[in-house]
Amino acid sequence: MSLDISFIGILIGSIMASSVPLILAASGELITERSGVLNLGVEGMMIIGAISGFALMVITDNLFIAIVGSMLSGVIISLIFGFLTQSLLTNHVATGLALTIFGIGLSAMLGKNFVGIPGKEFPILFSSLRESIPFFGPILFGHSIVLYFAFALPFLTNYFLKKTKLGLVVRAVGDSPVSASNQGINVILVRYCCILYGGAMCGLAGAYLSLIYTPQWIENMTAGRGWIALALVVFATWSPIKVLIGALIFGGITILQLHMQAIGFRIPVQFLSALPYLMTIIVLVVISRDSRKIKLNTPTSLGRIFYKEK
Amino acid sequence: MATDLRISNISKIYPGCVANDNVSLQFKSGKIYALLGENGAGKSTLVKILSGVISPDNGEVFLNEKNLKLSSPLDAKKNKIGMVFQHFNLFETLSVFENLSIDATEDNKSLRVRINEILKKYNFSIDLDIPVLNLSAGQKQKVEIIRCLLRSPKVLIMDEPTSVLTEQETEELFISLKKFCDEGILIIYITHKLKEVLSLCDEVAVMRKGKVVSVSQTQNEKVETLANKMVGQKLAKIKKKINISKNKDEIFKVKHLNFYSDDPFETSLVNLNFSVKKGECLGIAGISGNGQNELFQILSGEIITPDTSIIFRNKEIAKLNPKQRREYLMAFSPEDRISQAAVPELKIYENVALNNFKSSNFFEKGLVNERKIKEHSKKILSDFSVNTDNVELKSQFLSGGNLQKLILGRELITAPELLICYNPTWGLDVGAINYIHETLIKINDQEKSTILISTDTEELLKLSDRIAVIYKGKLSKIMPSEEVTPEKLGVLMGGGSID
Repeated sequence: MSLDISFIGILIGSIMASSVPLILAASGELITERSGVLNLGVEGMMIIGAISGFALMVITDNLFIAIVGSMLSGVIISLIFGFLTQSLLTNHVATGLALTIFGIGLSAMLGKNFVGIPGKEFPILFSSLRESIPFFGPILFGHSIVLYFAFALPFLTNYFLKKTKLGLVVRAVGDSPVSASNQGINVILVRYCCILYGGAMCGLAGAYLSLIYTPQWIENMTAGRGWIALALVVFATWSPIKVLIGALIFGGITILQLHMQAIGFRIPVQFLSALPYLMTIIVLVVISRDSRKIKLNTPTSLGRIFYKEK
Repeated sequence: MATDLRISNISKIYPGCVANDNVSLQFKSGKIYALLGENGAGKSTLVKILSGVISPDNGEVFLNEKNLKLSSPLDAKKNKIGMVFQHFNLFETLSVFENLSIDATEDNKSLRVRINEILKKYNFSIDLDIPVLNLSAGQKQKVEIIRCLLRSPKVLIMDEPTSVLTEQETEELFISLKKFCDEGILIIYITHKLKEVLSLCDEVAVMRKGKVVSVSQTQNEKVETLANKMVGQKLAKIKKKINISKNKDEIFKVKHLNFYSDDPFETSLVNLNFSVKKGECLGIAGISGNGQNELFQILSGEIITPDTSIIFRNKEIAKLNPKQRREYLMAFSPEDRISQAAVPELKIYENVALNNFKSSNFFEKGLVNERKIKEHSKKILSDFSVNTDNVELKSQFLSGGNLQKLILGRELITAPELLICYNPTWGLDVGAINYIHETLIKINDQEKSTILISTDTEELLKLSDRIAVIYKGKLSKIMPSEEVTPEKLGVLMGGGSID
């Protein structure tokens, strides 16, 4: 029987790897949204992160620079969004959509000369432990540092929002920017920071795809993951831990249904492909059905334009 | 140490409106000062300038002869000017403690100790660890006051603090304010309620159209003299005729009205039964958030509840939607004029057309007959003395009073047998309130009925023939209004009982 215990371990490991970009992008967007800003440019920021990370790797042959560079490119492109929505008071939704379209186009243009170039192997940690421990080895060890960071991130985000002063300020701004401003909080600055942080995480999520998960550049390689990340944030009702659960379910069912297709289950392929979306939504809706908690976690001012009275 | 606050030649001009015109005032600690004026008189602008939310075009503020630069709310805080806004500046989804800790400079432990000291000293009882959205308006206000007290203020500004409070809560507030005053805090009390000025304050400055028109000792003033100063003209006194005919037909009858909700923003209603007679005004009192929203929505048909029976003109209408109920000659004036009664982005005549789909010839073969609607809108504007004749004006540019007149005009044009209104004069100034009250009384005089859901006890006592109180979704027994006093209402509104 090929479905032995070590195979399941490897399967879980691959599910974790596939959910990393979702966790990163969704955690970043979660902070942005908690400050009351709806940035629909996640997909665009991810793809820019993917191409800049890959291009920097090819040019500098340095993975560290590539990773940091991808985050910086996410910051820069989200700065455009921040400037438009926070300083010029444009509509969040329209601006975010434009950002995504812009990002996809720009990345295709920048990436022309990088198509077909092989990627570089990304160092993995604890590779010896991965082989020596059955089942738990492939789950816990032998991953890139980015994966470990991604799995710590929802917990760090949760801690940040619930326990730190800055997290409280972010939540306050998302709840009522007018009150926050009247309390002397610089709402625009807080929102800028949250937007840029979201951009950095989306950039990193993109770089994970082009440098680690499938080390190469393919046009439009984010393939809608940005939109899934956005949906995760909403269906997880702005709770970081639920984002993690949602990302794992989505990654898990994506991988499982691929295996099911390979084995040749008598279920229409289209249904199997739709399954991850369906299940993620169902599970998240079920675990976040407490209307009280939703009210308390939802950033009341989400997507609304704030300007300071003069 | 004594505090001396001086405002010198403050001006603030908005496009098309002089909000503050050369305002100069002087305040000294140990007294409570009233700043009185109608809506749009410039009180709020002045207060926003004092709290650093907006900056004046001209003029200066001196605290103990020190010239203050108030360019942000932080500056006001640093200079120990505390401010309780009319619309609370609280974060609804955060806990009380989080709300208070957000601008604190000390650690959470010592902050908690200090908050508890204040709670004890002033006899406030508030759970610090529940979200603010679960608090009553009075408690929210206390949280705002605590936030100011934590910074040991020299000046405390209260902007229309009693608009959401019960009689009891108002009394408690006044006791606290007097205590603060005795402790040397300078208190500036902004209001358009005349009686409060007389009962609480030592000195009163009256503002009209951006200018200070009078400063005087309150002991030399009466309700009438202040009202005339505030409005700038003599106000006609209106009083309702006592409705003697007690044995008239019941036109509207509600039985077994139940509504269940576990939404923290909603209130469940428990077995409400009441009826309204022809030509009668039934008042429903209560502090906001005790089920009035839900009751209004059920009566208007926005929410349909099972097992409820609503008989209107001998027909069962409980399952009908608002449009169908209008066809049976009911009319509705919701609390929130901007988002429920009218669409602010639409022009006046478009808003007029909104709820008159059936009853008129506004629409022909699916097309809009603009000319007819406009003629009709013009008539409403002049009949209800809305202060514009431009039907093309976007509704958002009407003041609250004018918008309310427009809405009432629109509702009354179908000659409804029953008008249900919810806080029809909320946030309006004396002149507009007077007009609305007159209109409502006129409706009853014409043998039409009204249900008045209101949080304003004075209004209820003035207009209602019978009054009931709603508290936590339950209705008290219905009393003839001549047996009701403000004190009685206050007790019932606070959840107490009377015999």
